[in-house]
Amino acid sequence: MDVLSVQGLGKAYENFKLQDIRFTVQPGEIMGFIGRNGAGKTTTLKALLNFVHPDTGDIRFFGLPFAENELAIKRRIGFVSGGVDYYTRKKLRVITSVSRSFYPNWDEAAYRNYLTLFHLDENKTPSQLSAGMKVKYNLALALSHRAELLILDEPTSGLDPVSRDDLLDVFLLLAKGGASILFSTHITSDLDRCADRITYIHNGRLLASENLEAFTSKYRALEFPEERLTSSMREKLIGLKPSKHGYTAIAIAKEAEAFGVETKPADLETIMIHLEKE
Amino acid sequence: MLKLLRKEIRLALHPTNVIFLTLSAMLMIPNYPYYVTFFYTTLGLFFLCLNGRENNDVEFSVSLPVPKQAVVQGRIAFAMLVELAQLALAVPFAILRHGMSPAINEVGMDANVAFFGLSLLMFGLFNILFFPAYYQNPNKVGKAYVKSSVLLFLYITVAEALTHVAPLFRDQLDTPDPLFMNVKLMTLAIGAVGFVLLSGIAYAISAKRFVALDLA
Repeated sequence: MDVLSVQGLGKAYENFKLQDIRFTVQPGEIMGFIGRNGAGKTTTLKALLNFVHPDTGDIRFFGLPFAENELAIKRRIGFVSGGVDYYTRKKLRVITSVSRSFYPNWDEAAYRNYLTLFHLDENKTPSQLSAGMKVKYNLALALSHRAELLILDEPTSGLDPVSRDDLLDVFLLLAKGGASILFSTHITSDLDRCADRITYIHNGRLLASENLEAFTSKYRALEFPEERLTSSMREKLIGLKPSKHGYTAIAIAKEAEAFGVETKPADLETIMIHLEKE
Repeated sequence: MLKLLRKEIRLALHPTNVIFLTLSAMLMIPNYPYYVTFFYTTLGLFFLCLNGRENNDVEFSVSLPVPKQAVVQGRIAFAMLVELAQLALAVPFAILRHGMSPAINEVGMDANVAFFGLSLLMFGLFNILFFPAYYQNPNKVGKAYVKSSVLLFLYITVAEALTHVAPLFRDQLDTPDPLFMNVKLMTLAIGAVGFVLLSGIAYAISAKRFVALDLA
């Protein structure tokens, strides 16, 4: 059974439209949700939990529609919008004490373990924590009520490379333990490291939702000097742009060899940069 | 509900919600528009919501496993408790004031049984003016408070003016207890019913608006 199923999600604003977003998240899977800033990632995540009311679409958690099962679903998931940014002058101990009372399945031993694992001091306030520690505290709260699905909005944004790496290790550990993770980011290297699948949106529209390797293997990256560029290449290359040594672009893997220039495997960042140029 | 009330007390509570409770002692001032005492309570509730905005209380609350309308229910129930605590703490000071000589308040309404009924009605009016406006857009808490406090001042002005010009107020309600106790108890009952009804309607409208709201 899908942990999360989103079909035909749409929301229209005056200057922005989210259209026909569809993807699923499976048990124990890390799903990366990517797109450039303003693509609609946060709007989509907020629509999942009805913080934003979708105009269209069917959203099911664990096979259950959200509207009729809000309470039960919220107990089984954890939503982390970046680091803890609420009640930043209250001690973590107090915030935890309030939060835990809402979860009948709260696991105090697990919470203590995560405090130790993340080196969190309950007597500190969120304002005294670094960006990475704020995210970790939010994760500790979400995990201590045994969330089966974590929805994380830009959890690695603003973290230094070491903290990001630490956090990705945690994600991998959690996924191995059976938890599913849906996390939005525009730092694609995070996904190269840990995502099983990606959902990619561009200007409110779905570009892809599939296995990460399957997606990246569709493209090849090219870099070539200016004199090699022909008009037929121009038509077929994706996101052609000048570079230090001539041009870079990506091409559909099947067509790439025909250009007669050196190609190499495209990573997610390269694909995203060039697709966004189109 | 109890969990949400606990959240209000442990996280959301603004210091003025407690500090202003001591202002119930203002009923000891010999001549004073006593309704102003309870105006401070509403100011504290404004600070509560303002503090909530600065601390992303709405985002925190809606992510808890509670329906969206329960967040509104918790906040309004907490506000009602603060209002009732303010009135309850004012009672002993009203009794002390009554024992003072002269007990009559030259400015306006005496701190008597009817005064508490009219104050309950005032809190009910505040709740129905403030909370529906606040939950239409919790980021514009100042706008909601300006609107409700202007009307609250109007209520206070009219209520105090009536003690000088309207026979019912001047000759019966604005008299030391236990004079005209029947009509005063009737006023208290009307105030209590009005408080509960207006607050209930305030919740219904606020919850409907908040549930429909897209949280940016």
